[in-house]
Amino acid sequence: MADLVDTMRAAPGSVGVAAPQVGVTLRVCVVDVSQHRLGKEQNHGLLVMINPVLLSGAGAAIMREGCMSVPDYTGDVQRYTEIEVAYLDENGEKRMLCTAGFEAVAVQHEMDHLDGVLFLDRIVSLKTGLFRRKNYK
Amino acid sequence: MDEPKSDTAYFAVSVIGKDRPGIVAGAAEVLYRLGCNIEDSSCTMLAGEFAMILIVTHEKPFSKAHLVEEFVAYSKGMELSVFVRGLKRDEVEYHSPQGELCVITVYGADRPGIVYRVTRELADRSINITDLNTKLIGTSAAPVYILVIEAELTEGTSSEDVERLLHTIKEELAVEITVRIVTPVAL
Repeated sequence: MADLVDTMRAAPGSVGVAAPQVGVTLRVCVVDVSQHRLGKEQNHGLLVMINPVLLSGAGAAIMREGCMSVPDYTGDVQRYTEIEVAYLDENGEKRMLCTAGFEAVAVQHEMDHLDGVLFLDRIVSLKTGLFRRKNYK
Repeated sequence: MDEPKSDTAYFAVSVIGKDRPGIVAGAAEVLYRLGCNIEDSSCTMLAGEFAMILIVTHEKPFSKAHLVEEFVAYSKGMELSVFVRGLKRDEVEYHSPQGELCVITVYGADRPGIVYRVTRELADRSINITDLNTKLIGTSAAPVYILVIEAELTEGTSSEDVERLLHTIKEELAVEITVRIVTPVAL
């Protein structure tokens, strides 16, 4: 877990790392958006999450995501804006997290890594999300 | 894309023709058989046309004539326009955007000059366009033009600065213009 936190801190701008990203096949991830411009206002500091489970999600917003596991590529991804997650903390204590905004996006992104899902699997549009006509007249 | 290699030949290839299934497969087959790699590409439908733009590479020695020859054979009978250009090393180097990325959306009643006026204003401020799409929607009686630009802002420029910059054009062309930052978040 310390490795995950170190990896996150060492990568400029990174706000989370999941164990599978560093070659460890455990359902553990860390998230900390407190130093990010989008997460400064609303965050729970450093979150160490073991076996996180998404209990509920609400709302939807699109954000352009990048990931250190897919360098030099970014894409627009739709995520819940509010989530409720159950997990065990670093001491094995049961915890509940209700969060919203950027922290919620980061938690969903890291939890996806635990299922082998990359943001690439969730890209909603290659281009700007404009309505495209089906028929050209 | 990695740093350009001196032992590699780089080409820009474009293929445009009436849209139908198989255009990409046909072009990709030509490249595959020649042993070319597709390094970067963007392909899309534009009205009833399908347009492919690709950066392809092949280990040297490899002649452009050979590539053209194969593409001409492929495009024959398919009514496709194919264009091939050899690239110099400095043309291939990719510089990822350093400044904030923003999306500028412009829309309003169709009239001449929407694309020109907006992009000229950006160019004069050295704001680099990284992507641009336009679409004509609505009815022929009331056509609406949509222009969506993704651009890299220069150091110290905010989305509000860009909105202010385009304010005069907005008034003159009677269009709506919104600017929002879409700089990717590293997760």
